[in-house]
This record gives sequence, C-alpha cells and structure tokens, in this order.
Amino acid sequence: MGQWLERRLSAPPTTPATAARGPRPLAVAILVAVIAGAGAVPLFTSAYVLQLATDILTFAALAYGWNIISGCTGYLSFGQVSFFGIGAYATSVLVLRTGVPWYLAALIAAAFSGVVAALLGTVMLRLRGIMFALGMLGLARILVVVASDWNYIGAAGGLTLPAQLTPVAVYLAMWVAVAGAFALNYFVLHSGWGLSVTGVRDEETAASAIGVPTARIKTAAFIMSALAPAAVGGLVAWNRSFIDPPSAFDPTLDLQVIVFALFGGIGTLWGPALGTLVLVIVGEQFWAYLPDLQLALYGVLVIAVVLAFPGGIVGIANRFGWLRRRPVLAPTTLPSVSRPPQPAPPGDETIIEVRDLTVRFGGLVALNGISLSVRRGEMVSIIGANGAGKTTLFNAITGFVKPSEGGVFYRGKSVSDIPSYQRARQGIARTFQIPRLMESMTVWENTLLAARYGKRGGDAVEQAAWALHTVKLDALWLEPPSKLSPGQQRRLEMARALALNPTVILLDEVMAGMTRDEQGEIRAVLRHFRELGVAAVAGVEHVISAIADISDRMIVLDRGKKIAEGKPDTVLRDPLVIESYLGKVS
Amino acid sequence: MIVLQLVINGVLLGGTYILLAQGLNLIFGVMGIVNIAHGAIITLAGLFTYWFATETHQSPLLLIPPVFIVMLVVGGILQRLLLEPLAKLGRSRELLTLMVTFGLSYVLVETALNFFGSQYVSLPDLQTTWSVAGLAFNEALVAAGALGALISGGLYIWLRYTASGQALLATSQNPVGAVTCGIDVRRMRAIAFALGTALAATAGILLILILPLSAPTADTLTILSFVIVALGGLGDYRGAVMAALLLGLVQSGVGYYLGGDAEVVVPYLLLITFMVVRPQGIGHATR
Repeated sequence: MGQWLERRLSAPPTTPATAARGPRPLAVAILVAVIAGAGAVPLFTSAYVLQLATDILTFAALAYGWNIISGCTGYLSFGQVSFFGIGAYATSVLVLRTGVPWYLAALIAAAFSGVVAALLGTVMLRLRGIMFALGMLGLARILVVVASDWNYIGAAGGLTLPAQLTPVAVYLAMWVAVAGAFALNYFVLHSGWGLSVTGVRDEETAASAIGVPTARIKTAAFIMSALAPAAVGGLVAWNRSFIDPPSAFDPTLDLQVIVFALFGGIGTLWGPALGTLVLVIVGEQFWAYLPDLQLALYGVLVIAVVLAFPGGIVGIANRFGWLRRRPVLAPTTLPSVSRPPQPAPPGDETIIEVRDLTVRFGGLVALNGISLSVRRGEMVSIIGANGAGKTTLFNAITGFVKPSEGGVFYRGKSVSDIPSYQRARQGIARTFQIPRLMESMTVWENTLLAARYGKRGGDAVEQAAWALHTVKLDALWLEPPSKLSPGQQRRLEMARALALNPTVILLDEVMAGMTRDEQGEIRAVLRHFRELGVAAVAGVEHVISAIADISDRMIVLDRGKKIAEGKPDTVLRDPLVIESYLGKVS
Repeated sequence: MIVLQLVINGVLLGGTYILLAQGLNLIFGVMGIVNIAHGAIITLAGLFTYWFATETHQSPLLLIPPVFIVMLVVGGILQRLLLEPLAKLGRSRELLTLMVTFGLSYVLVETALNFFGSQYVSLPDLQTTWSVAGLAFNEALVAAGALGALISGGLYIWLRYTASGQALLATSQNPVGAVTCGIDVRRMRAIAFALGTALAATAGILLILILPLSAPTADTLTILSFVIVALGGLGDYRGAVMAALLLGLVQSGVGYYLGGDAEVVVPYLLLITFMVVRPQGIGHATR
C-alpha cells in the first residue's frame, strides 16, 4: 500500500518519444467557453448563484496561493491565512485613511504582503519542513493577538468599512485574482524558472549542487504564494464591510483551503480549481444538514484523501491519461546534438587544490590536514578504505561541508566563502553516491535544470540535449527517473553534471553497483572527457578495476590522511595501501 | 521577593510544560513526525476533566490513571489506522503525516466544540495557596508541576533502564539498527504514539487546573509544545526539560511584567530567536 501511495505522488510523463507543444484546440475552446460563461453569470443568474460563484472564486484564488508554497515548493504552510488577514487589514487601512480606490488598495496590499513574506522567508525558509509548517501555524495565532491590541487598526473591535462594492464588482475582481494566481501557478509549473522550484522541492541538496540558488527560489515562491491571499483578503473585507482579528485570521480558512487543494490535487495546475469547485458546491448542499460537523468532516476528508488518493482528483485523472503535466520546455522531438571535440577553456594549470584541509565532526576527525590537487587534463582517482574521508573531501570541495581548518582553491582562488550553488555555476560539478534525481521531473527536465545554471545558460535546451546525447540517454528523455535502471540513473547524474558545462567533474563512487556493461558505458564517457570541454575529472571510487586504467593519477586516503599518490600501477602495489585495505600480514 | 516568587511559579509551570512536551518529543523521536493534533488531545482531556469535576465534584486528579490507560489504547488504534499506512513512504511521509494529524486535529476540536462549547473554562479547585516563608505556593501549580515532573521522571527511568523502554529509545535513534536487534519497530511506533497521546491527555488534566482552556484555541497548545520541543532540540529529552523550564520562567516573568497578551507571544518569539541563533536547540553540546 505504501508503494502504491508513493507512485501516485510522482507526476507521470506524457507519451514517451514526443512532447507536443502549444495549446490544443480543445483546450482553447474550453477556455473561451469558461470565460464567456464567467461573464454571463452575473447577467443571467440569481444573487444566490452569484454569491456561490464568488465564494468558489475566492477559495480557488486562496487555494492557488497555498499551492505554490506547499504543493510546488514542498514547504507545507498551515498559516497562509496570515497573508489573508494582512491583506484585509492593509487594504482597509489604505482605503479608510488615504481614500485610495479599493482595487488599487488591494493590489498595494498584495505587494505589501509580498514584502512581509520576503522578510519572514529569510528566517523561516531556512528551517526544515516541520518547523516551517508549525511556524506558519503559530504566526497566524500571533497575528490575532497583535491585531487585537493595535488601536491604529481598530484593535479588538475591528474596522467598519463603508459599503462600496457591488456583488458584481466583487465577482469580477475575484476573477482577476484567480486569473493572477492561476498565472503564477502556470509560471511555476511550466516555465524554465519554475523548474528550479520543483527541483528544490524534490531534492534541495542536489539542486544546490547543480547551481540552483535554493534560498532565493524558496523566497520567491513564498512571496508569490502571499500575493493572492492578500488581494483576496482585501476584497473580502470590503465585501463584508467589516473586519476584525478573528475573522481576518480565521484558522478555518486555512483548513478549507488545504482540503480543497489537497482534494483537487496538491502541486498541480488544475487541482486547486477542481477541488474548490467540487467541494464548495457539494458543501453547499451538505452543510444545511450538518452545520455542526463541518470542521470534523473536513478533517476526515483530509485524512481520507491522504490515505486513499493523495494525488487528488488530478492524480486519479492522470491514471486515465487526462490532465497530465507537460514536460517543461521540451522540444517536439529531442534534437541529436553532437559537437566536435572541443578543448576546455585555456587557463590555470591547477583546477582544484586543497591545502591542509581538516574537517571535524564533533570528536571525529574525518579529514586530517590533507593537501592534494587536480591538474588540467588529468583524471584523478581517489581511493581508500571505508571511513577514509573520501566523500567528506568532495563535500568540502563542493561546499556542502565547512572545513574546520585549511582551504579549498578553485583555479587559484579560494572558494571558502562561496556557497555551493555558486561553485556549481562557476564550473564545479558533482555526482552523488546515491543518485539524487528529481523524481517528479522527467530525465529531460532534470538535465535542463542543470543546463539553465551552467556556463551556457543561454542555450540551455541545446546544452541539455547535448548532455543527454553524450551519455546516450536520448531514447529515455521523457521518462521519470524512477523508470531508469541504476546504471541509467548514474548516467543521468553524469548528464546533469555535463549540462552545467563544467570545468571539473567530481564523481562520487559512480561505478558502485554497476554491471560490467554499465561500467563500460560510463567509462566510455570518461575516457573522452577532454573532448567534451571538461578540464579535469576527479573520482572517488571503490571499484578500482573500473577506473585504474583510465586514471592518470591515483591518490589513496586512509583515516583522513593521504598515504600514497602516483601512477595507479605504483600506488596499487604500495605496501601501505595494501595494508590499509587488507590489514597487516604478520 | 517578587523575583523569587516568579521563579518558583516559573519552575512549577515548567514542570507542567515538561509533560506537555514529552508526549510530542517521544512521537517525534521514534516516528520522526510532529503530531499536530497534540494540542487538541490536551484540550479535549482538559475539557473533559472540567466537565467531570463540575459534574461529580470529585478531585480531577482521580482521572489520571483511567484516562492514561484509555488514551494508550486509543492512541495505539489511531496510529495503526491513520499513520502506519504512511510509514512506508519515503520523502513524502513527513508532509503527508503532518496533513493527517492536521485533519485529525480538526476532528477532535469539532468534537470538543460540540460537547463542551467554545468558551474558556478552568477549574476553581485547588486554588488554595500555601504561604511558606512569605512565598505563595498555589496548590494547583504545585500539584501540576510536581505530578508533571514525577510522570516525566518516571518516563525517563522507564526509557533508560527497562528493556522495553530501551527498545523504544533504540528505535528512535536508529530504526534500521533496531530491526536488526530483533525489535518490532512497528510495535514501537504504535507504542510511542500511544504513549505520546496518553501523556498529552495527562498534561491536559493537569493543565486545566492552572490555565483556562478552550476548544477553538487548542492548536496554540500544539504550538507551545512544539516550541518547547524545538527549543530543546527535536527529539532531545534533556533539552526539552531545559526548554520547558526556560519557557516556564520566561512566561512567568513576562506574564507578570507585561500582561497576558504578551505572554501568548513569548513562546513564538523565543522560537524565532533560537531558530535564527541556534537552530539545533539548547539541548545539544556545541558542535
């Protein structure tokens, strides 16, 4: 059952081998019908239907806002109502005290809310998911208290607003809000920039290793998620002509929004709209009979959806081939890009240098004053028994671990102050021991994401196509990583590294668990690294037989120190090296 | 003198807070999840205690043993039904579990609303104050703090020095390792959650003696418990104790000097400060 749940959560690909682009005629027709119908509602229906439609739009906008931070970015927020309330109060205060027209006030309030989100984000987005979720929950509760004591905004008594809006005006304004929120979701789910958001959600560490500025991306997503609730809050305040702390920061709003988005399909483009539409209409009929159980039933619904169909309506539709997500920026067919052998950009002789590097984890000394270098044109293999510090070395070079002493130099300059994503962008690429691929993206998108942040950012599509062609993954370009064999996943990691157009590639146990054939495929790529425009390669490896003959130099680590260095043949016969692996022969 | 009084009140309050936090800490340690329904369980138990005390005029402390046992069973059932199906998932497990407990929280809150209304209630019992050397000792505070510390200490002894407790600790430290030692990790998860909810309910019984509780504000208790646990370092037992005492002291002081509203904001501000300055919590040794 668990595995079934897990599979429901990853977005299935479109039909393999081709990815059609452009809107389908049917979709356009539906869109036109919807817009026409929307305009017709106020003209041809009763006030009750108009109110219902407005409610649906209100919740849809809120659900779309929530979807961006919680669904698309993976940072579950239980307090988006904070922005709703901030927007409500900001709009009201603006109109009451400065006479700005209400629609303008709502926009300004939305912008203000975005600023608040930016400030909040610097603190809260640094935390793990759980902390963020509960932090937002707490924020909403705190804001009620703050608002109740703040006289400028009416304190506990709230603010009364003169009735200025007709129901039709509110209805139309809500349409604008929904359209805006929908557009933001579309941008996050279908643009090249938005791919970074998905990357952060799926594998934040790996995203950082391929150049994604994760903190900035998260903050941007958070800001985007704050805009819709604030605008809606402002409009609702005016529609009701009254706001006070409990209604502005009403926690049940959060519950409803979460239920609707979850029911429709969290993290999808159509989920929030579908979920809101179905549940508001169904709810209308229901609540007449069971007014006292509304919250409880919503709670039960959340549980039921999570346990039975966490992908929501869209997840179920996907199983029938509907509403499937299109891969981002995918050409109709994958171009077969091969380039003539090209040298790496000329320059420095020493690509990576590590001086007296010491890394301690509490009492454990993982690296003890290591110095080594990787020079232009060579492939260096770093071997050693388990616990020798090999992966720690790579982590220190790429910025995932802070050295306790010593320095890391890239092309002659110290990189100690440079965060890992920037090191990746400057040309240090790495692969991971256990492949960290973005599961809800296709092979193509995984590679494209890296290509966007590489040194050839402008030609990202071409670069990604080239990288996939080089590792011979063209045929599988629209598959999700879960459908790849372990060998293919390793090759995808390499494609990702190549897509960055790197100067140096650091391979972390790339041969582990590979069959001989799979090893051969990777060796084929490594043999010709110089022609791919890469200046140097360093590989940490246990499967020595797979890399000994293609390495120019071999370095052996043992318990954090370097114990041998030289040509592979010599090193492998060194008694100290043998002893570190096999023990002393007495 | 005032300061000493505030300190005493703070320590006693901290004793109750320890109990609040341990339930959440245990669940987080063994299962790696935060139970958002934690506050709802506390509140439901507290409101039930209020009803019991006012209807039967018996001491509310009588409820502790039966409620503890009942909640053990109920918690175990809830875990099996709602949370165990999610245990197999990988990355999404954390978020989905948060969702499920979020939903559960609302179910419990609505139940509380329907049975007990939405007003704040607290028990007038045990409001006598003993005067010792010029310092006032509020009976309810003493009872809650002492019992809280006692139960918490008992839990600690059970965890550290009995085989079954150690099995639980082992699971929280390394689930895979625990399996290879022959520990039934599934049962451990159920036990942890059952214990966690039983502790939460007990905390609720004690809390109603010293604080007013209400159904709509149930999740502020979740936040409070979470703040203590996070401050102490998620999963760290001793850290949670320190954090509980710290929070008790700070709230006691702030409540006196700045009033009730400021008191509400204190846990949150403390958490933000610590998150920025020392995210691993006060419990851990310097790295």
